[in-house]
Amino acid sequence: MTTSLFLVQLINGLQYGLLLFLIASGLTLVFGVMGILNLAHGSMYMVGAYLAWYFVEHTGSFGLSAILSAAIALLIGILVERTLIRQLYRRNHLDQVLLTIGMIFVFNALQSLLWGNDPLGVAVPEPLSGAVPLTEVLEYPVYRIFVALLCVAIAALMYFMINKTRLGMLIRAGESNREMVECLGIDIRKLYTIVFAIGVMLAAVAGVAAAPMSSIVPGMGEHILITCFVVVVIGGMGSIKGALVAALLVGLVDTFASVLLPQLSSMMIYILMAFILLLKPQGLFSS
Amino acid sequence: MLFNKRTERYFIWLFFPLALLLPLFLEQNTFYVSKLTSVMIFALFVMSLDYLVGRCGLITLGHAMFYGLGGYLFWMIAPEYEAVNFWVYTFYICMIAAAVALVIGFLVLRTSGIYMIMITLAFAQMTFYFFSDSIEFGGNDGLFIYVKPETSIFGLSFFDLDNPTHFYYLCLLSLFNTLVFFRLLIRSRFGRVVDAIHENPGRTTALGYNIFLFRLMSYVIASALGAYAGYLFTLQYGFVNPSMLAWTTSGSALVMSILGGMGSIYGAVLGTFVYEGLHYSLEHLTEHWLLFMGALIIAMVMLFKNGIAGYMEKLLEKRV
Amino acid sequence: MFKPNRMLTAVAAGLATLSLSTTVAASDEPIKVGMMLPFSGVYGALGDATRNGLKMALQEKAPQLHGRKIEFIEIDTEARPERAPEISSSLLNNSKADFIIGPVHSGVAMGMLKVLRGKETVMIVPNAGAGPVTGPLCAPNVFRTSFSSWQPSYPMGEVALDNGYRKVVTMSWNYGMGKESLDAFEESFTAGGGEIVKKILVPFPKTEFQAYLSEIASINPDAVFVFFAGGGAVKFVKDYDALGLKGKIPLLGAGFLTEGTLEAQGSSAEGIMTTLHYADTLETAENLDFRKSYQAQFGKPSDIYAVQGYDTGLMIASAVNRMGGDVSDHASLIKTLENTTVESPRGAFTFSAAHNPVQNIYLRTVEGGVNKVLYVASPALSDPARGCKL
Repeated sequence: MTTSLFLVQLINGLQYGLLLFLIASGLTLVFGVMGILNLAHGSMYMVGAYLAWYFVEHTGSFGLSAILSAAIALLIGILVERTLIRQLYRRNHLDQVLLTIGMIFVFNALQSLLWGNDPLGVAVPEPLSGAVPLTEVLEYPVYRIFVALLCVAIAALMYFMINKTRLGMLIRAGESNREMVECLGIDIRKLYTIVFAIGVMLAAVAGVAAAPMSSIVPGMGEHILITCFVVVVIGGMGSIKGALVAALLVGLVDTFASVLLPQLSSMMIYILMAFILLLKPQGLFSS
Repeated sequence: MLFNKRTERYFIWLFFPLALLLPLFLEQNTFYVSKLTSVMIFALFVMSLDYLVGRCGLITLGHAMFYGLGGYLFWMIAPEYEAVNFWVYTFYICMIAAAVALVIGFLVLRTSGIYMIMITLAFAQMTFYFFSDSIEFGGNDGLFIYVKPETSIFGLSFFDLDNPTHFYYLCLLSLFNTLVFFRLLIRSRFGRVVDAIHENPGRTTALGYNIFLFRLMSYVIASALGAYAGYLFTLQYGFVNPSMLAWTTSGSALVMSILGGMGSIYGAVLGTFVYEGLHYSLEHLTEHWLLFMGALIIAMVMLFKNGIAGYMEKLLEKRV
Repeated sequence: MFKPNRMLTAVAAGLATLSLSTTVAASDEPIKVGMMLPFSGVYGALGDATRNGLKMALQEKAPQLHGRKIEFIEIDTEARPERAPEISSSLLNNSKADFIIGPVHSGVAMGMLKVLRGKETVMIVPNAGAGPVTGPLCAPNVFRTSFSSWQPSYPMGEVALDNGYRKVVTMSWNYGMGKESLDAFEESFTAGGGEIVKKILVPFPKTEFQAYLSEIASINPDAVFVFFAGGGAVKFVKDYDALGLKGKIPLLGAGFLTEGTLEAQGSSAEGIMTTLHYADTLETAENLDFRKSYQAQFGKPSDIYAVQGYDTGLMIASAVNRMGGDVSDHASLIKTLENTTVESPRGAFTFSAAHNPVQNIYLRTVEGGVNKVLYVASPALSDPARGCKL
C-alpha cells in the first residue's frame, strides 16, 4: 500500500468511526444512566433517515428538515419512555430486550406503511456539495468532512454537558447511585425521560446526517444496530469516552481489513471484540 | 414428583396426548403435520436456550451458532449419497457440538451479563460469515441434503424420515425426552448446584463449588441439544442455510423463551407455540402482520411479569 | 402406525364426499396463484413491484381466462431462506396452489426448489437469477421468467472491449448471484483479450464502500464492472460519484445497478452503462402501454421487477387461455408453458429447454433519470444451462 493510499484509508476509517460514534453514543448513554438495553436504537437511526427524506421532499431545505427530524425524534423518545420504558425499570434486562424487539417490529411496520419499501435518497445540501481533491482520481466530499466535524462537535458537547453542567452532574449521580439522587429531592423520573429522549435524538440525528451519503432502505436500522453494540461493548457499556475510542477503532479495523484481509473482513470486528473482551472482560473503559 | 408444579402437569397432560393424536386428524393435509413438526423442533431449541438463560443465568445471543452447526456438521461428516444411521450421527453431531461448546464456553464464560451476550454473538457472527462467505459450504444459498438417514436400532426401524408423520413423531418424542431430561437434570445434585449459582454465585463459591465448571457443563449440554435441534431441522426438508446461524435466529429463540416464561423449561414449548401461532395466523390475515406482532409482543411484556408460564402459574398454583 | 377409529373413518368419508362434490364444480373454482415474495425488509420493494406487475397482467388478461377467477395467496418470505421450504410446503400441500410464484432472493429459491422440484405443481421464478435453478437443478415443473445471472452480465464483456477497455476491476457482494455475474462478465471479457486486474468481493450485505473505492482509485483501471442491486446499488452509485471516480473511470454494471433505484440515486447515476434484458425506453407498443398503465395504477414508474412480474402473469394467462381454462392436467400444462411466446414489454421471448427465457440483452445508459436503450448488445441470448439434463 502506498503512503497516499494509506492516508486516504486512514481518513476513511476515521470518518466511518466518527459516524459510528454518533449512532452508538445514545445507546451507551441510555445504558449507562438508566441501565436500559434499547435494541430499538437502530430503528431510531432508520426513523431519522426517513424523516430527513420526508421533510426534504416537503420543505426543500435540508437544514430545516434536520431540525424538524430531531424535534420529532425527541418527542418520540419522550412518548416511548413515558408510556413503555417507564414500566420496566424494576424488571430485568430480558423483559427490556423483549419490549424493544417488539418496538423494532412496530417501527419497521410503520416505516413500510408510511413510506413504502422503495430505496430512497436525499441529495447533499447545496452549500456542502463540493469536494476536495485528494489524489489524481480521488476526491473527498465536503459533506463527509462536515459530518465528521459534526460528530467531533457532538462528542465535545456531550463531554461538556456531562462534566460541566447541572444536568450532567445529575446524570453522573444517577449512574452511580439512584436512591441517593432521589433522596436529594431530584425527580429521577424526569431525568430518565430527558436522558432517554436525548439518546433517541442522537440516533435520529445520526440517521439524518447519514441520509445524504447512504441509501434509505427498510432494515437499515438492524444492520447498524449490531455494529453499534460491538462499539459500545468494546468501549465499556455506559462510557462515552470508551464509545468514542471503540468507534474509531472499529472504523479503522473495518476499513483496513476490507482492503488488506478481504477473506476475513466480515468477521474482523467480531474477532476484535472477542479479543478485547477476553483480555478485558468489561470493555476498554468500564466504569 | 418429576413435574412438581400443577401448571406444568396440566400442560403436559394437555399438550402431549393432543400432539400424539393430532396427526390422525390431519392425515389429509401433510402441511400442518410438517408445520407442527418445525415448531416442535424450534421449541426443542428454545428449551435448550431456556435452560441456559433461565436456569443458569447465562444469557447468550449466539445459541443459533449451534443450531446451524447441527445442520452443517451433518453435511460435512455424512457421505453424500449414502443413508447413514440416524442415532449414530445424532451421537456424532452432539459430541462434536459439545466439543466446540467446551472450547467456546471456556472463553465466553469468563465474561458475564451484557458482555457475555455480546461475546457469544461475536462467535456466532464469525461462524455465520464463515459459512456464508465460503463457496465450498454453499455460501449464502445454502446446501441440500440428498439422502436422509435411516433409523434402525439392531435392525429394527421405527421411523421412516421421508414420511412426514413418522418424522413428526420422532420430533415429538425428542421434545418430550428433552423436557424430561431437563427436569431430571434440574432435580439432580448437579441441577441444584446450578440453581444455587444462579441465586447466589458468591455463596456457592464459598461452599466450595467450582462455579465455572458447573456453568461450563451447562453450556456444553445446552449447546449439544441446540445442535440436535438444528440437525432435526436440517433433516426435515434436507436444506441447510447460513440464515440458521444468523443473530436473528438467536434473537427469536430468546424472545420465545422470555415470552414462555424464563427458566420454566415447559414454558419454552408454550412460548414457541404462541409466537409461531401468532406469526402464522397474522401473516395469513394481513400484510402488515409485523405491526400486530410487535404490538402483541409489547402488550405481553407489559401484562405478564414472568411470561405465559408465570401468568398461568399465578392462576393455577395454590397460594401458600 | 395408529389406526383411526370408526368415527374418524366416518368423518373422513364425509370429507371425501365433500371433496368429490367440489371436483364436479371445478370450473367455478378459482385458479390458485401462490406468491412467495418478500413484502418486508431489504427486498420489500422488489416483492411489491413483482406482485403489482403480476396482478396487473392477470387483470388485463381476465377475458382470456375462460371465466376462471384467480385467487392469490400471498406470503411474505421476509427473504429468509430457512423459512422457504415450509412456506413452499404450505402453498403446495395446504393451499393446493396451481402455480407457485417466487422468489426474489436466490437463497430462498434454493429452499423452494428443495420442496417443489420434480413435483406436479408449476413453480415460476420471477426474479432470482441463481444459475442452478435452470442449470444443475433444473426440473420439468420449474420455469423462470426473469434471467439467469449469466445472461445480463455476459454481453457486457464484449461491450467493454468495444469501448477499448482492457484493464477492468470487478466488484460485487460475496454471494452466489454476485459471483456468478462477475464470472459471466469475466468469461466474455477475458476471451476477447481483456484483463481483470482485481476482483473485489464485499461481504454481504455490507454497504461501506469507501475503502474499496479508494483502492480502485489508486489502481486507476480503464473501467469498473459491478453487480449490486436495491439499496446497496443506491449507496454504491452515490459513493462512486461522491469520491470523484465518476467521470474519470467509467462505471459498467449488470442492469440491476440502476433498476428501481434511479430516483434515489439522482444525478449520480447519469451516464452509467449497464446491460439488461429490459430498458425503460423500448419503443414497442407493449412497453409503452405497460409503462403507462403501471404508472396510472400504482403512481410510480415501473422497473424491471414489475416487468418480470407482469410477464409471469402473461405466461399464466396465455397457458390458461390455450388450455381452455382447465389447467388440472399437469403434464400438458408444462408442455403448454414450454411453448409460450411471451409478448413482453421487454420484447417477445421464448423458453429454452432448461425453462429460462431466450431474450435480447440491451445496452442501456442512464439519461435524464431513465434507462435509455442504446442498442441490442446480444439478440436472443440463451443461457448455456450448464449441468441441466432437460
